[in-house]
Amino acid sequence: MFLGSLYSGGVSELERLFQEIKNMNYRIIGPRLEDDVIRLGDLRSFDEIPYGISDIQRPGYYRIRVDGGRFRNPLDSPKRLLYPPELTIFRVTRDWKIEYPEYRFEKTALFGVKPCDLAAIRIMDRVQGELGDEYFLKMREKLLLVVENCVEPGENCFCATMGTGPVASTGFDIAYTRLDDSTVLFQPGSDLGVIILGELNLEPATPDQIDAFKEAILKASEKARAGFRLENLPDMLELNLESKVYQEIAERCLGCANCNMVCPTCFCFDVIDEPELDGSSRRVRIWDGCHSYSYAQVAGGHFRKDLWARYRHWVLHKFVYWLRQFGSFGCVGCGRCITWCPAGIDLREVIFKVVKEVEERCRR
Amino acid sequence: MQEIVGSKLAPTPAEILKIITETPDTKTFYFKPRAKLEDPKPGQFTEIYLPGVGEAPVSISGVDYDGVIVQTVRSIGTLTEYLFKLGKGDLIGIRGPYGKGWPIEKLKGRDVLIVGGGIGLAPLRPVIKEIEKNRGDYGRLSILYGARTPNLLLYRYEFDEYRKIPNSELLLTVDHADETWTGNVGVVTQLIPKASVDPRNAIALVCGPEIMMRFTVKALEKQGFKENQIYLSLERRMKCGVGLCGHCQVGPYFVCRHGPVFPYWMIKKYFWVDQI
Repeated sequence: MFLGSLYSGGVSELERLFQEIKNMNYRIIGPRLEDDVIRLGDLRSFDEIPYGISDIQRPGYYRIRVDGGRFRNPLDSPKRLLYPPELTIFRVTRDWKIEYPEYRFEKTALFGVKPCDLAAIRIMDRVQGELGDEYFLKMREKLLLVVENCVEPGENCFCATMGTGPVASTGFDIAYTRLDDSTVLFQPGSDLGVIILGELNLEPATPDQIDAFKEAILKASEKARAGFRLENLPDMLELNLESKVYQEIAERCLGCANCNMVCPTCFCFDVIDEPELDGSSRRVRIWDGCHSYSYAQVAGGHFRKDLWARYRHWVLHKFVYWLRQFGSFGCVGCGRCITWCPAGIDLREVIFKVVKEVEERCRR
Repeated sequence: MQEIVGSKLAPTPAEILKIITETPDTKTFYFKPRAKLEDPKPGQFTEIYLPGVGEAPVSISGVDYDGVIVQTVRSIGTLTEYLFKLGKGDLIGIRGPYGKGWPIEKLKGRDVLIVGGGIGLAPLRPVIKEIEKNRGDYGRLSILYGARTPNLLLYRYEFDEYRKIPNSELLLTVDHADETWTGNVGVVTQLIPKASVDPRNAIALVCGPEIMMRFTVKALEKQGFKENQIYLSLERRMKCGVGLCGHCQVGPYFVCRHGPVFPYWMIKKYFWVDQI
């Protein structure tokens, strides 16, 4: 078995792979159906993965359908596991002792995450490699990544534009592609992946299967595109800081920060104090988002009082500043911010319009 | 295996040794941390913590003997309101010092122009103290300081000491005078042309409200200051202080880590953009 090569199997091999990982005492986390939404959660058995259920994701719209189709990225991104929404970092006792909670980091497998989410984990690796969040780094060491390549991206997906999908190229342990109901192609991406897949006694993929794989990926790539291009994008956005588009968006934006919460790379947090009855105080780290009113507020002032400025900051951080801070874009094109926006604001459209304004100005 | 996370954000208890009332809404606290902090550099800040309330970033306005940290605080938000209820002997939490301070090395052999507005003089005070201590290392010192009213000027009890620093001047102004005031009336930028430093060989250090800093930059450029001769200390919501939480971003910078003191050329692109 060779790193990066494709191997052929079926759904039963996929199930054996799941079992193999379970037998290695991994906690397995993957997509599961909860209250009519596909979430990321603990999987006790392979059957819990909602294969055969499809999700329909459009701007501000999410439905599931039991129709034998495919599902895209779950509501939760791996961020929820690696960088929990709420985390007690320590307790300050009445006599000023710092008491740290006891965290145990188990071997964890992410099963069936999408290439966009893999890319997000790799962006978080760079962000936290730079910033050094201790919880993330310790979780990450124990992580086994099993990626499901996308052959049917959803309407909000634009991974092909961001260069993060629909197929994973590096950074995973095992990738698999469900070509059709009977064919699953497997690809080891790390030494550990080779060892685990080696247990399945798979045959190398046939030339026909490889052709079908390439064709499926090509088709998927064409679908998962936004109307803008990455070329010169940071410069274009910075040339149009005063764009009226942001103000138009703010007319619809609710400032709810849903987009920040579902974003697989947004890392901003707040720390709040939870006073306890024994007189101690728990310091709790919670996710925060740049769309929320208090985000840039200080005592006696506010640096982004207007919603348009907060929306603009989000766009500029993801597509301009992130490159300078961490060497990549802060967006992976998963489309969650579009799906879960209550106002159905489409980030792709916003960027397209801001860039178009610059192009038109240049032509004049 | 059990692991500890979050230790970067853990405060050290510190005792309040002394409190000086500066103005009706501002006090200077002397904090003695139980474990000595790293020696602060002029322009750096700490995070002050009160259990059950939370944290706030506060600039350092001096270092007293044996690691005692001096910080001037204006009561303006929740944390500072509670801090003002504390007295001598009470404990607070402190962590830091954080951030990049004033470019002390660059000041050596040059004239120094200090421009402070209101509470903005607090992080500049350590620079004055440094120049006073090693007077021979620096050129002429001009301190321009303005506040809204005379009773809002900080460190009035030290003004004579500042005036006695050789080869220096202290120019004061207030927006609104009262019957006691005999000095300048007007905004601090009006003092800039009066400062007797040589703009060709001077560094300007500026701290105050954002609007005051914008007008100050314009006035300094008019006097011939180049963008690499102007340093500004920015205020943002430095929630974590260590470049983790994201709140204090200005353009690609985390103010807590890349600042709070920035050379003007570094932030020029964003400085004039509304609510960037």
